[in-house]
Amino acid sequence: MKWLLMVFYYKLLMRPFLSILVGVKLVNSENLRQSGPVIIVSNHNSHLDTMSLMAALPIKQLIRTHPVAADDYFGNSPFKRFLSRWVINALLIKRNRADGDPSPTDIMINSLDKGHSLILFPEGSRGEPEKLQAFQKGVGAILKRRPNIPYIPIFMRGMGRVLPKGEKLLVPFDSFVSIGPKSFTNQSEVTLIVKEVEEAVRKQSDVLLHLFKH
Amino acid sequence: MNYFLSNRFAENKEVLSIILVILGILIFATVLFFVLGKIFPGDKVRELQQRTKSWWIMALIFILATVLHPSISFVAFGFLSFAALRELASISKNVRPEDRRVIIWCYLAIPVQYFLAYMGYFNLFMIFIPVIMFIWIPFVLVVRGFTVEIGKSMSVLPVQLMFTVFSISHLAYFLSLPELTGFHAGGRGLLLYVVFLTEMNDVFQFTWGKLLGRHKIIEKISPNKTWEGFIGGFITTIVVAYFIRFLTPFTAIESLFAGAIIAFGGFIGDVIVSAIKRDIGLKDTGNLIPGHGGILDRIDSLAIAAPSFFYFVYNLYYA
Repeated sequence: MKWLLMVFYYKLLMRPFLSILVGVKLVNSENLRQSGPVIIVSNHNSHLDTMSLMAALPIKQLIRTHPVAADDYFGNSPFKRFLSRWVINALLIKRNRADGDPSPTDIMINSLDKGHSLILFPEGSRGEPEKLQAFQKGVGAILKRRPNIPYIPIFMRGMGRVLPKGEKLLVPFDSFVSIGPKSFTNQSEVTLIVKEVEEAVRKQSDVLLHLFKH
Repeated sequence: MNYFLSNRFAENKEVLSIILVILGILIFATVLFFVLGKIFPGDKVRELQQRTKSWWIMALIFILATVLHPSISFVAFGFLSFAALRELASISKNVRPEDRRVIIWCYLAIPVQYFLAYMGYFNLFMIFIPVIMFIWIPFVLVVRGFTVEIGKSMSVLPVQLMFTVFSISHLAYFLSLPELTGFHAGGRGLLLYVVFLTEMNDVFQFTWGKLLGRHKIIEKISPNKTWEGFIGGFITTIVVAYFIRFLTPFTAIESLFAGAIIAFGGFIGDVIVSAIKRDIGLKDTGNLIPGHGGILDRIDSLAIAAPSFFYFVYNLYYA
């Protein structure tokens, strides 16, 4: 049931809407054709980011991929809770947790161990368009404990103009999603892993720049 | 009106024959570059093969959009305007972030302009963007209240509308022109005539430039353009315009003028888009069409050639 709803929403509604009306273009989308659990790491400027990534996934992976989101934002109203459960397929993480709650890292690793994939926005919140903020530690903590799980670096450009933070009106602009090759971390220190992943995402930003420049 | 509701292109021998000519050229180019690729393998031939492949797709889409029901043609041209405007607004550095909501008004002008073309309201069609939107966009900008560099947005947004919506909508208006007695090809014939000649002019200028090009014509904007390419393309286009004048109501002399207007208009459109790209530091405006860049790179010549040719034929035969 949920699978049908998600396929209908992302493949039949979102995909054509994003590519024809909004103007989202995928660069190297074949890099997303993965089977096993992966961690998709991307910059974050807009709610459209999650929509574009989910719509770009292979149909089989759709239900087994969870965007990681903050519980205090996406779980604070019945409507948002319905959306995150049935449509976004989100994995909600509590930012302020009480004693005894499992740690966010444990929740995410638990999901990966079940063979599911995660979408992480390590910048934390939606920042200013095209400006990469410093990455948070979470992605490093996970990859340190599960170095055999690959990550896919992604950079998105233009979404921050289509639907910026705090805006309700969507305005079509050409925007690009550059998808990097999957890679395994070769660091063992949390901060170094975070740095490596951040570099990989930055590299995808350069891929987009070089696509059009001389 | 009956003509537009019925699909009579198959009876239209002139339109049918130019479509066969287009397919013939594409088959010839495909075979030629395939053989060349076997004899001289390399990147240059591969690029030509890729371009030919893209031409196939563009030609087939265009032919379908032209010969199917006219309402499909209007939607197709409207979407072309939309994609071009979106591309131009996205790459332009003169559009401020505060102008997002004003750009919605620019997008909304597209269905209105194509509706006017579809209904054949010629006077409104002619003034809607150059007069009404020309006033409305600055007014909306003023109401929004961001005054820093507002003059830039006031000038850039209406120009973008002119270049992508006003100009391209003339292609659609050909289909709304009334029937003339004794002229069988009709608006479809004129549409095919101007698009075919504009695209051929691009190819001719490119080919003559590669073969004979020595003297740069406008080096600071477009280093690959030469006088030899321009003049070679100009003359070839006029010759072709003369031979396919069965698509038009023109006399022999008028067809020569039409060819000259299209060749010159195509060149102007081409260098305007080149200059915009140079200003931003882009090579191509997008990567949608392999070997051809983005949509703007494809419609640049048409954006000037189409309205110029339209008013030429309109004032001679329809006014």
